[in-house]
Amino acid sequence: MRGLSVRDVWRSVAIALLLVAAILLPIGQKNYIIYVLTSWLIFTIAAMGLNLTLGYAGQISLAQASFMAIGAYVTALLTLAGWHWLAALPPALIISFVVGLILGYPALRVKGHFLAFVTLAFNTLVFLVLRNEDWLTGGTYGLSGMPRPDFGLFSTDKHLPFYYFTLGITVIAALALWGIVRSPWGRAFKALRENPVRAESLGVDTRRVTLLAFAIGSVYGGLAGALITPLVQFIEPGSFGLAHSLRILLMVVVGGAGYFFGPFIGAAVVILLPEVLRFTEGYYLIIYSALVIVMLVFVPSGLIGVWGRLKAKVWPKQQVRTDMAEGAGLQ
Amino acid sequence: MTRSHRYRSLLLAVSIAVPAALGTAQAADTVKLGLVAELSGAGAPAGTNWRDGAKLAVAEVNAAGGILGKKVEMPEYDTQTDPQVSRALVQKAIDEGVIAIIGTVYSGSTMVNMLVAKQNSIPQFVGSEAPAIVEKGNPFVYRTSSGAQKGVPALTPYFKDTLKAKKVGVAWVNNEFGKGGRNVFIAEMKKAGIDVVVDAASEQAQTDYAADVAKIKSANPDAVFVYMNQEESARFLIEAKKQALPMPLVGEVTLTEAKVIELAGNAADGAIAHVGVTATATEVPGIAAFAKSFEDTFKRKPTHDAIKGYVGVWATKYVTDKVGKVDGEAFAKTMHGLCLKAADHPKILLDTCWDDRGEMSRPSFMVQVKGGSPVVIGTVPAN
Repeated sequence: MRGLSVRDVWRSVAIALLLVAAILLPIGQKNYIIYVLTSWLIFTIAAMGLNLTLGYAGQISLAQASFMAIGAYVTALLTLAGWHWLAALPPALIISFVVGLILGYPALRVKGHFLAFVTLAFNTLVFLVLRNEDWLTGGTYGLSGMPRPDFGLFSTDKHLPFYYFTLGITVIAALALWGIVRSPWGRAFKALRENPVRAESLGVDTRRVTLLAFAIGSVYGGLAGALITPLVQFIEPGSFGLAHSLRILLMVVVGGAGYFFGPFIGAAVVILLPEVLRFTEGYYLIIYSALVIVMLVFVPSGLIGVWGRLKAKVWPKQQVRTDMAEGAGLQ
Repeated sequence: MTRSHRYRSLLLAVSIAVPAALGTAQAADTVKLGLVAELSGAGAPAGTNWRDGAKLAVAEVNAAGGILGKKVEMPEYDTQTDPQVSRALVQKAIDEGVIAIIGTVYSGSTMVNMLVAKQNSIPQFVGSEAPAIVEKGNPFVYRTSSGAQKGVPALTPYFKDTLKAKKVGVAWVNNEFGKGGRNVFIAEMKKAGIDVVVDAASEQAQTDYAADVAKIKSANPDAVFVYMNQEESARFLIEAKKQALPMPLVGEVTLTEAKVIELAGNAADGAIAHVGVTATATEVPGIAAFAKSFEDTFKRKPTHDAIKGYVGVWATKYVTDKVGKVDGEAFAKTMHGLCLKAADHPKILLDTCWDDRGEMSRPSFMVQVKGGSPVVIGTVPAN
């Protein structure tokens, strides 16, 4: 068995500390902050999915919000029909996966901007279906009053238990993704992103692998949706429009596409930063937008790449292949 | 993967620790009202007027001794016209100790955030007009204008008796607000025996109404009911003028608003609307005084949203003073079935009643845009 390097120990300690921080952070906070932190976790999950599709497999998708919608509506309809959240979750994830496959199969015949347009159209399509099929989705009035999951001794009705519940799910989702990106599939995803022709010549079935990355990314969207339903307890089509897909894309890009922890930071910037800036009142959205532009101009590989860059400048030690060190760009 | 994981982790720690520094203290000799409104995004024209009306009222309430003798503060919370953000902000306002929520204006937001105010037994005055809001059995939500299910039926006599329409069209925006009004209107027309010959749905933030107007023109109804938010109404009116739509365009509340007239320019001339309350009804002394001080303060004409925000704050004051203490449950009990007469409570502007669901009724007006400003052409009794 391979011994743990110093770096691995450091990494484990840092992750453990962060987890402790995530557990301690909401204690003693008011409901609003707990609510914002919970939505940060949920959007992190959605961004993790898109990070897999975009950052690892290099496929740009503008449909992540529509997969959130699918997860959210399936969970909402089933929990309103009396199902337990845990029972409603597998159908939500399976439907997201299947829809991801069905969309991916024709969509992945095209690449780059064209794929972005196909997924954009899909997002609009889902929005219109949700809005127009009132008999099922409640139309523009949406669905409300979905119960939060209750596990006997542990009820998530209050905000704090629900935060911990979401944190638990986020950790599980992150571990699963960690496993995926380290599996042969994960390697294949990266090979595909770096050089699809070479990957294919090495025997990677690019069609199948791309489709898989897309469908797994969709499942993460579905999972995030399944958590939004009990958090907000009201869903309507407008919450899953194209603007939200773009926000999730922004999270991935700002955080650092192709970096495992990128989505955590990206979602923190997109969800938490405007809240932190609220003290500037009328100017907060202007400052926020300006900051995002500055970030994208100066650190196009995402915030998570900043430290690595600084360190490499100040303390150059070991040459890392730049194409592997940087995340996938949006070309 | 690179070798900088620990630094990434530090970054992450910082980014989640920053919001922990948030939080404010509160003084005991003041009471706070939480203004949660659409200060940016698609709802900004409505939300900022709502806020300014409320601000004016807070200044006046403070000049008149405050609420329960305490000074009133009104922190503002911008929802970005996003329902989920609005929910978080109602929560934030309540966390910060407000005694009432003033907002939101967009029905989609109110539908989400009123659950939070209800869970915390905090009274909430909303500017939303979707019928569903008072149908959820929430005892803490109160309107500041009549719901679409009351406002739209008030138009029926106008279509039937004044315009003598036999066939009408309806152009509406497909969101909670538009759909609520459109459904009531179609039901009303059916009852009155008037045919709806064209039903044109459009999107929120749609910019091109050429197809919608052409569709209406070819159906040739006797009159058209236009039910959209401000910016959409203005674009519709501009396109209607461009294509010379000949029949009267009749709306409910928004169609003749100051913001719509400002955006549509002379294309708004001739548009007719039933309005719950209008700053142009200057024969009502309270409204004349309000319109004057609003114009003096903000250098522009108030819209009906401004009046709604104003009435929301004053109603909070009157009712809290009536209850004699800050108590959401007692506030709700007092509100249900309450009638405030303008003679005793001048700042409520018109005799106003709330029923046991928080629905409001008060006399209303028919107005028409003439030469760039809305003119009252008739009064409709409270229904």
